[in-house]
Amino acid sequence: MCDQTFVAITFGPCDSCSQNKPLMNIYLQNEPVNYCSLCVELMACQGLAKGETVSTLRAESENLKAKLEEERAKLHDVELHQVAEKVETLGQFVIKTRRTLKGHGNKVLCMDWCRDKRRMVSSSQVIMRSAAVCVLQEHAVTMPCTWVMACAYAPSGCVIACGGLDNKCSVYPLSLDKNENLAAKKKSVAMHTNYLSACSFTNSDMQLLTSSGDGTCALWDVESGQLLQSFHGHSADVLSLDLAPSETGNTFVSGGCDKKANVWDMRSGQNIQSFETHESDINSVKYYPSGDAFATGSDDATCRLYDLRADREVAIYSKESIIFGASSVDFSLSGRLLFAGYNDYNINVWDVLKGTRVAILFGHENRVSTVRVSPDGTAFCSGSWDNTLDFNPV
Amino acid sequence: MEAGKVYSSNTVLQARKAVEQLRLEAGLERIKISAAAAQLVQYCQENRRGDPLLTGIAASSNPFKDKKTCVLL
Repeated sequence: MCDQTFVAITFGPCDSCSQNKPLMNIYLQNEPVNYCSLCVELMACQGLAKGETVSTLRAESENLKAKLEEERAKLHDVELHQVAEKVETLGQFVIKTRRTLKGHGNKVLCMDWCRDKRRMVSSSQVIMRSAAVCVLQEHAVTMPCTWVMACAYAPSGCVIACGGLDNKCSVYPLSLDKNENLAAKKKSVAMHTNYLSACSFTNSDMQLLTSSGDGTCALWDVESGQLLQSFHGHSADVLSLDLAPSETGNTFVSGGCDKKANVWDMRSGQNIQSFETHESDINSVKYYPSGDAFATGSDDATCRLYDLRADREVAIYSKESIIFGASSVDFSLSGRLLFAGYNDYNINVWDVLKGTRVAILFGHENRVSTVRVSPDGTAFCSGSWDNTLDFNPV
Repeated sequence: MEAGKVYSSNTVLQARKAVEQLRLEAGLERIKISAAAAQLVQYCQENRRGDPLLTGIAASSNPFKDKKTCVLL
């Protein structure tokens, strides 16, 4: 991933002592303030109870972590694949036909399905197209930035959001008129201080959730562009996010370069749960269809399943022969199959319950960057750095 | 709207935040993996017929199933 994190230091009057000094922008109760570093330390120390120092806090931190691990371990009475032993084994996985959608001038970095199940939007470095699979209709929109890394369809199917190295997420209304200049109708909604890695509409066209290389996620009102909630807790770039299926409430999960997957409450901004068992960047996170678990794909060449109620990793999908990172994961409708695209150009299909690999799908000539199952579960689509999108129906 | 990162020199603030977050997480109610796993399995089983990518798979060799002609796709 690109590594352009550099910080612009602001210099000016401190909000606390009013002296002109280099400022740090921090958040106090979700409000941004600019304090000089001395005032930040003083403020933090004021809140300390008597006898507390950095070392006592660190010690307590270690204690709590150990206690957490103990609590989690107590509940680790069995493995998922043991519980799944009685489940019948899957037969051979077969793909009937495949249609390769060419036409991208550059690498396909991400894609999304429309809820009408027939349209998709995909993004690459320069051009964004939406293609109806039955009848090819293309809208080419020129992005003003060089690398579009995230794209999403709105629930209505009328609007598309995308963004990338421009640090923004912009919204475009779609029209059936091919000749219409969509770029003119672009509306900037989200503004981050680093690249946009992922975006998703919530249950309506009105709110947009974004994640960024600046280490935060944010919820935006599309109409006004206002920041509704920000989510702080990752200590490095956030690479992926996924919203919980609507029945399970207002939460979402994010994964990042700090190897952590965090579950958040959208309304309060609170980090509810955190999982740190991967050994490298988490590139992709996806909820299990019931909303009780989520899967991750990581640069450590494994995919893992975390159960939210057990608060623990419950399965690892890996093989010694797989040494390249997994860039993207998605579940089939029942949650039994996990499709994972890898940097070794292949897609591995895993039996989620038994932990075994069901199939390897070849066909791409470069990294698989995105894998998405269609909303009705009848097909999945994979995008790759070889400039193509493969559409695989049952 | 800027989202600034907290620098590592800011150890007191970071340490306090870490402790507060861990306290929250320690208070979480958890269930046993056997129970959680059972629910995951149950969900898969309940929904397997509605999963085209799953049912599109060639029938597994279930000895109790009536034998039909196999169609290799």
